[in-house]
Amino acid sequence: MIADIGLITLTIAFIFTVYATFASAYGGWRGRWDLVESARNASLLAFPFLTVSVIVIVYSLYVLDFSLAYVYDVSSQAMSPFLRMAALWGGQQGSILFWAWMMAGFVAAVLLRKWERDREMMPYFIATAMLTTAFFVGVVLFITNPFMRLWHIEGAAELTQALFQPANSMPYYPEDGGGLNPLLRHFGMIGHPPTTYLGFTGFVIPFSFAIAALITGQSRGDEWIRTTRRWTLVAWIFLSIGLILGGRWAYDVLGWGGFWGWDPVENAMLMPWLTGTAFLHSVMMTEKRGMMKRWNMVLIILTYSLALFGTFITRTGVISSVHAFTKSALGPAFFAFIGLTFIGSVTILYLRWDTLKSEHTLESFISRESAFVLQNMLFLAITFVVFWGTIFPLISELVTGIKITVGPPYFQKATGPLFFVLVILMGIAPLLAWRKQAVRTFGKAIWIPFIASLGIAGIWGYTHRMHPASILGLWLVTFSLSTTLAEFWKGVQARHATRGENPFTAFINLIGRNHRRYGGYIIHLSVVLIALGFIGDANFKLETQGTVSSGESLTIGDYQLQFEQLRAYPGSDGREIIEAVTTLSQDGEVIRTLNPRRDYFTVQQQPVTVPGVYSTPGKDVYVLLVGWDDSGQSATFKIYVNSFINWVWIGGLMMIVGTIIAAWNTPGQREATYVLKPGALTSHPLLQES
Amino acid sequence: MTKLPLNEQEVQSPPTADRKRIGVIITFAVILTLLGLLAWGLKKAQAGPLDNGLAPDFTITDFDGRTATLSELRGQVVVINFWASWCPPCREEAAYLEETWRKYEDKGVVFIGVDYVDTEKEALAYIAEFDITYLNGPDIGTRISQAYNIQGVPETFFVAKNGELRGVHIGPMKSPQLDEKIEELLAEQYP
Repeated sequence: MIADIGLITLTIAFIFTVYATFASAYGGWRGRWDLVESARNASLLAFPFLTVSVIVIVYSLYVLDFSLAYVYDVSSQAMSPFLRMAALWGGQQGSILFWAWMMAGFVAAVLLRKWERDREMMPYFIATAMLTTAFFVGVVLFITNPFMRLWHIEGAAELTQALFQPANSMPYYPEDGGGLNPLLRHFGMIGHPPTTYLGFTGFVIPFSFAIAALITGQSRGDEWIRTTRRWTLVAWIFLSIGLILGGRWAYDVLGWGGFWGWDPVENAMLMPWLTGTAFLHSVMMTEKRGMMKRWNMVLIILTYSLALFGTFITRTGVISSVHAFTKSALGPAFFAFIGLTFIGSVTILYLRWDTLKSEHTLESFISRESAFVLQNMLFLAITFVVFWGTIFPLISELVTGIKITVGPPYFQKATGPLFFVLVILMGIAPLLAWRKQAVRTFGKAIWIPFIASLGIAGIWGYTHRMHPASILGLWLVTFSLSTTLAEFWKGVQARHATRGENPFTAFINLIGRNHRRYGGYIIHLSVVLIALGFIGDANFKLETQGTVSSGESLTIGDYQLQFEQLRAYPGSDGREIIEAVTTLSQDGEVIRTLNPRRDYFTVQQQPVTVPGVYSTPGKDVYVLLVGWDDSGQSATFKIYVNSFINWVWIGGLMMIVGTIIAAWNTPGQREATYVLKPGALTSHPLLQES
Repeated sequence: MTKLPLNEQEVQSPPTADRKRIGVIITFAVILTLLGLLAWGLKKAQAGPLDNGLAPDFTITDFDGRTATLSELRGQVVVINFWASWCPPCREEAAYLEETWRKYEDKGVVFIGVDYVDTEKEALAYIAEFDITYLNGPDIGTRISQAYNIQGVPETFFVAKNGELRGVHIGPMKSPQLDEKIEELLAEQYP
């Protein structure tokens, strides 16, 4: 049987990961390089073996082998082949296998690429990364095994799940499975879970490098930081994409007209993203000035711990959430593992604390350094606010006995001002010089963007007469946008003046010459656009609800929605669709037909609300079919006008482009931007190699 | 001369060493507190539904606006059923529940249906479909479900005449499980 092959390769992969963990740690400790090499080979082999297990599950989902309990749970005949395969991450067993597989893939990629350069750190890198991988593979093998079969034991009322045939039992082959939760049957299923998992698992690489650097004492130098920065960028961009795709999915499927609801699982993703972003910035302080070394260590450990923490609270049902669709025996094992990770990494950090001294101190409060410090503080403050709100139900229940869930208003009020300052800082920090910035030149650099942004926000405020917070928000966005664009402008001007390049060539060359800096600026621009989306959501959202008979209209802003008729028809995937035909007009002129609908998944008895959306760069008209009377003569609609929402998705795309540019190695850049410290010439491993 | 660095160390190190020690203590205290909190939360999540001790009290308002308070029902056997209109297994037991209710209605037994995370329209349609006549109301803010730590629907709790929980049934009930349980509880003496 093909499923047996998957189980066998999973078992072999587990043995390899455990072996690699111990062989590399022992080899590193005793200086036995043969053992470390052997551990490296075992780590590299674990990945193809896990790949076979993953392929077997995907194949079983595709051909609907319902003798496997997992396939029976998440796949069904009504599902399209594409959704059946995506069901790999649609349930707990499959998603943890998928998780372990990606983690093994990341580790294998590092071992293939960086083995020679970071030779000294490798034993402990392998030990740390493989310990984590071994844990997840072990969980798949022993706790939530996707290769469990269904058995019918004589006389029993319910089916039994077991890997091997229990006594007095017959194998059971159901005719059809339950299939995926209807909310997961969406195009978003292909993108959001895998990118999120790639982001989460990817952070094991920087974490393992950090632990290895601490153990070997390499953390004194900067080599590990540069190796780690790029891997952090990889994990970070996947997490960013995961966040944005998740928001888009929620907007399309969950039917509350928004894209971010401060749900515990969203927060669980946001927290490592925040600390990861802080790390990507503070890393520059270490590279350029030898400062914030301890801080970087703390941030890496924190980022990874938060990723584990997020997975823990959501997978074990400790904090209830719309995403917590699974409860299992996973809890105690996972708890032991995160306990070990938290305490172990902090202990190692403590033992090496004194070796991580800063080489410089802050020289001026107006400098690039102080901006970095402030920015890091802000990121951490936001993380803490989100963390507190996320675990508050648990704390309140412990203290008062009543579970109090804090809603979006808390998060918005508490993080809003912090994000505000952060976006301002993002606009001005790149203008500040290292060490010390003269106030006069700084003033010269920002006065034009400042006046321009005031003007634009003022005109907007005058014509729209909106809430003051919205004008402030628009000022913020225009200010940060214009200072960042000014940086591009200055660079292009300089190239045009000195080399006579035309503006377009100058622009391309500018980015080409310094990927890191201009990639970073593109990411900053994307953040401004995403901020615009959030500001629109918070301040400009219109909302109405009403019941209308056929031929009548609802009005919202300058839009009118006319209800024509209701129709019902069977859809694919085993669903019954009730769809409203409506006409959207603006100021009396017909724009288009919208078809908000309700899909009933008959097997699962679950409705899914699908909005009808008219989308433009400025705003979306988002219509939900809330209810109807049985004759079909009248229907109730909820309508939202969401301003600027599309800039979140546009910003998201731009963020991906910026990150790819920033991560790309600029030829000759290393020498140009890296400031060698006195004495580094003799001790620097890179220079010794060349 | 050789003593100078030592002296310097003696003078300078105590405050930094102290600060470091305090920092370490605080860090580990925070980590251990957090782990403790998580362990507690995990224990609760894993504990499953309550099935003994005094049944948590609650007041429920049904779909018609009538209210019932558990602690005022002493002397009667109470069956609390958690259900939802979107839950297929609930449908399997709905007819049996109603039938049993009608059988014991006049014999000192109270049925309370707690509608978990549902919409009123669908819930009322469900009640009409199975012609349910016992008290049924929504679990506003999932307070009752939390108090009983339910893991899903349907779940049915049995409260003895003295107000103590006497077990829980997870999943749909089949005849004669409910009858047997009610008979057992009715047989208990209550002053």
